[in-house]
Amino acid sequence: MAESQSQAPTTFAEEALTHLDTLYRGALRLTRDPDQAQDLVQEAYLRALRYQHSYQTGTNMKAWLFAIMRNLFWDRFKGSRKEDVSLDDVGEFVLYDKLRDEGAKPEADVLDKMAASEVVAAVEELPPLHREVVLLVDVEGFSYKDAAETLGVPIGTVMSRLHRARQQLQKSLFEYAVESGIVRASNKEMPTQ
Amino acid sequence: MNCPDCKEKLDRYVDRELNSTEVLEVQLHLEGCPDCMDSYEFQTHLKRLIKHSCDCDTAPAAFREKLRQILS
Ligand SMILES: [Zn+2]
Ligand SMILES: [Zn+2]
Repeated sequence: MAESQSQAPTTFAEEALTHLDTLYRGALRLTRDPDQAQDLVQEAYLRALRYQHSYQTGTNMKAWLFAIMRNLFWDRFKGSRKEDVSLDDVGEFVLYDKLRDEGAKPEADVLDKMAASEVVAAVEELPPLHREVVLLVDVEGFSYKDAAETLGVPIGTVMSRLHRARQQLQKSLFEYAVESGIVRASNKEMPTQ
Repeated sequence: MNCPDCKEKLDRYVDRELNSTEVLEVQLHLEGCPDCMDSYEFQTHLKRLIKHSCDCDTAPAAFREKLRQILS
């Protein structure tokens, strides 16, 4: 993919550094710690430089770098696993439908009232296996195909992880919306059909 | 296309992962179905909220400079 034509980065390192924000954000969300994120990203860049011959010019460098970073993360993570890697099926949870059931006008302002910090917290609560799919597809705008290659899994796996992650995310955001009073929790139960 | 079909494709529509035929089918349904249109707009809004909440973090300038020196 062509970066800017006018001032093309001259060296491998310079080009790699144009993707620093993506890597740093990804590392920050995965580690949830700025110092660990910097360590991880620095190690990823050193490894990328060492293995630059394995990068095929003209392919997606951002995806390649991200793959190096997340593989390093997983190497470390497996050694000190303190949290669930994966996510139980929370069942279908559609925030839009839920808000409607609660009598909130969903689109109008519920989302606009949500604090960015709470959205980030909800993303960071996801198990890392699901978190990384959201980071790639929703935050960084990767296609399913690029996400699949980055993560080394089939596209179908990306889609199912994404689906599950979104259910959980919407559930967390709904709970936050109720707790913070953005949505007034109705006492009356919705009639079950 | 009916509402369940549309619902099933909505995520991929929002993610721009449908082929052009499917995109047209969904668009056609959305134009005639306010419920699905509302739901679509909500999903788009939610995706944007997640993106903008997470992508305001950028690498600290000092860290960028440190890397530049290490890598050169
Ligand atoms: Zn808005
Ligand atoms: Zn419909």
